[in-house]
Amino acid sequence: MDYEALDFYEIDSLLTDEERMVRDMVRDWVDEEVIPNIENACREGVFPDEWRVALGEMGVLGAPLQGYGCPGLSYTAYGVICRELERGDSGLRSFASVQGSLAMYPIWDFGSEEQKNYYLPKMASGEWIGCFGLTEPDYGSNPGDMITKAEDIGDHYLLNGAKMWITNGTIAEVAVVWAKLGSEIRGFIVEKNDPGFTAPEMKGKHSLKASVTSELVFQDCKIPKDRILPGVKGLRGPFSCLNNARFGISWGAIGSAQACFHSAKDYSMSRIQFDHPIASYQLVQNKLAWMLREITKAQLLAYHLGQKKDAGNWIPEHISLAKMNNVDIALEIARVARDIHGANGILDEYPVMRHMANLESVKTYEGTHDIHNLIIGRHITGIQAFTREA
Amino acid sequence: MNIIVLLKQVPDTTAKISISSGFMDESTITKWSMSPYDEFALESALQLKQNCNGNLIAITCGPDRCSKMLTDAAAVGTDKLIHIHHEGYLDSIQTQTLLAAAIKKFEGEVIMCGKQAADTNSGSTGPGVAELIGASCITHVSEVKYENEELIATRLNSLGFEIISTSPPSIFAFDKGVKELRRPNVRGIMMAKKKEITRLTPEDLGASLTNSNINLISQMPPSEKAPGQKYEGTDSIHEIVSKLRDEANVI
Repeated sequence: MDYEALDFYEIDSLLTDEERMVRDMVRDWVDEEVIPNIENACREGVFPDEWRVALGEMGVLGAPLQGYGCPGLSYTAYGVICRELERGDSGLRSFASVQGSLAMYPIWDFGSEEQKNYYLPKMASGEWIGCFGLTEPDYGSNPGDMITKAEDIGDHYLLNGAKMWITNGTIAEVAVVWAKLGSEIRGFIVEKNDPGFTAPEMKGKHSLKASVTSELVFQDCKIPKDRILPGVKGLRGPFSCLNNARFGISWGAIGSAQACFHSAKDYSMSRIQFDHPIASYQLVQNKLAWMLREITKAQLLAYHLGQKKDAGNWIPEHISLAKMNNVDIALEIARVARDIHGANGILDEYPVMRHMANLESVKTYEGTHDIHNLIIGRHITGIQAFTREA
Repeated sequence: MNIIVLLKQVPDTTAKISISSGFMDESTITKWSMSPYDEFALESALQLKQNCNGNLIAITCGPDRCSKMLTDAAAVGTDKLIHIHHEGYLDSIQTQTLLAAAIKKFEGEVIMCGKQAADTNSGSTGPGVAELIGASCITHVSEVKYENEELIATRLNSLGFEIISTSPPSIFAFDKGVKELRRPNVRGIMMAKKKEITRLTPEDLGASLTNSNINLISQMPPSEKAPGQKYEGTDSIHEIVSKLRDEANVI
């Protein structure tokens, strides 16, 4: 059955011609190259290298960045790309999010001219994969207390510490790593072969199985002086990257939800029980109607947020709301879709359980669901509730 | 070398076709696409353009909606876009007249098109245009190469493959080609957005639409297939065998 993206309010009609062409390009690629291969990639626990090449050839990496070989698309187009990729798999979208928003963006925004010219063209073409090191084993929601530190040793920096849950870590040529220089958080560009740097892969995930997740370990890792990001100090650096990645996730989750809806609709129309398709029963229709309702609302949130991002009149709390809501409903839609598929829903013949397991990670990473609630809570009340200290 | 590809926008193969008052109702079709055989022609034209450093012009004829398909063709590397604008029905002879006039105007030397359009299946564009412009026409082509200033086409006939050489002006009507139409990329899409589409009317081309001697009387959907029959259990074996033998004539 050909994929028909649910778009009840015809929100895609608001996209520009260019955005729609980019959508069709990515959607066709996902249909032809990703969907037929994703289950195998998950079983083997690999991110197929052909996908890196294809993303580079399509020119979608670092979508909204201008110059230095980057595509220069709108943020809305970036959202559409994330949505279409995540319709295939959240692990694929994670690859693109990390490459564009977390590795390329900080170099583009905070890097020196030399750093931009050296790294960005090769990252936009997909030749070099990037990763982003912020989270540590003991510091997830609270990155400000990170213990990874950099020391100024005259002609170089020395990096010590460890990062965890790093998408693309083991396959990356370039890592943007956040570490404390004195008491201040700074960004450093670490290259794969830097002495004292290793990136062992984390195994045993039940989620995002087609995505590489790693630790980054720094033991007296020597970094040349010109690899510090000169343009930013403090948590503002990593947080501005996260804003862009979370924006992409708010669109991406819709893609997963659309895939689950599509599968649940098809399945319920053809699955006969008690002599009739299960889609003809009120309980199933109620579930499908609820899915359509939540997807439509999520689409409106994402589209409007895209317009605000492109116009530059957004605040991080706007992104928190969309990330939190859209991932939350996508996960719930995946669970309900799994339910509609009955026992068949647990098989990899259908995409629903894979999306469901993926979305459990997506709900947690890039600011957990609860942390986004606290961000909005602080916005409403002016009182931060992250810590017990004032 | 001027290479021209003739493209037709057709209802997407997934579109639902409805008939009202004896004719297809276009307003119910929500998705239009480039006709699949035209895609093979376009891919081959792009390869030829690269091999002979040629200039690739895409021409379509039809209403406003067809512009989008030309932009799609630009996104994969077409140099020049020509839209012969005409709202409403065009029969095969009218279409061929318009296309032939445009090919002459833009001095096309090698012309590529699909062997038939996915909607009308008429298969007359290639041979019809060839007749009007006095070009050779090779149909059911799967590949065209440019070697030593000759065009070498591979075509499938009932005996196997034929290799045919020809020199311009020539028209190649494509069957399924050896390579699917390439995917665009973001750079191509952004260039395509800026590419101007030259819009021409039949009058601009000095083409008359009144010399057609064919008339479309009506259209109707295909008759619905009779529902399948289902048999269960060993008791029905005799009945199934007799039906397969006497009704279906398969055993």
